[in-house]
Amino acid sequence: MALLSPQDEATLKQHLSVITLPVQLVLFTQTIGGSESGPVTKRILGELAALNDKVTLVEKSFVLDTEDRNKYKVDKAPAIVLLSDGVDTRMRLYGAPTGYEFVGLVEAIIVAGTSKIELDPETMKWIQAVDKPTHIQVFSTPT
Amino acid sequence: MAAANELITADAIEATEFMDLSRKYRVTGVPKTIVNETIEIMGALPEQDYVRAALQLPEQG
Repeated sequence: MALLSPQDEATLKQHLSVITLPVQLVLFTQTIGGSESGPVTKRILGELAALNDKVTLVEKSFVLDTEDRNKYKVDKAPAIVLLSDGVDTRMRLYGAPTGYEFVGLVEAIIVAGTSKIELDPETMKWIQAVDKPTHIQVFSTPT
Repeated sequence: MAAANELITADAIEATEFMDLSRKYRVTGVPKTIVNETIEIMGALPEQDYVRAALQLPEQG
């Protein structure tokens, strides 16, 4: 059974219709010894990717694909790395994207697929003025 | 923020799934933001307040 209802699918399809750039969802999972959320994450991403031709799911092994892991600096699984037309957006989601995280995932896909950032112009100026590596980690829960 | 500046990396982490990290950063409520291992932001803030806190910009006024 699908995780997304037909109604969810229709709504998401409409949200994702603004995408103009290819978006790759690079998923790192660990089959042996990994958490149970890996398969759930794969199903969610698969169903999302099926809603828009420009969104594709790329599967990687957290254990075996060490070169990609290092390239994207992924240190835990499941991990989703978002690429915009093959370019790393530096946005990552760790853990199954359910609940609030799902909303964040859809928003991140739209940012990656449109290159449009919906922020206040003044806030954008502050962010663009950052001149040293900055690592932001946001913790949330599904509910 | 990450999309707007190449020097910024943004991770969204499911707190209950990565308990070690949640303990390390003393995540007792969500959302909780950690910037460069040192800056802590509790809860959801309006956009400008959030970015100001994350980037440690001085208060306006």
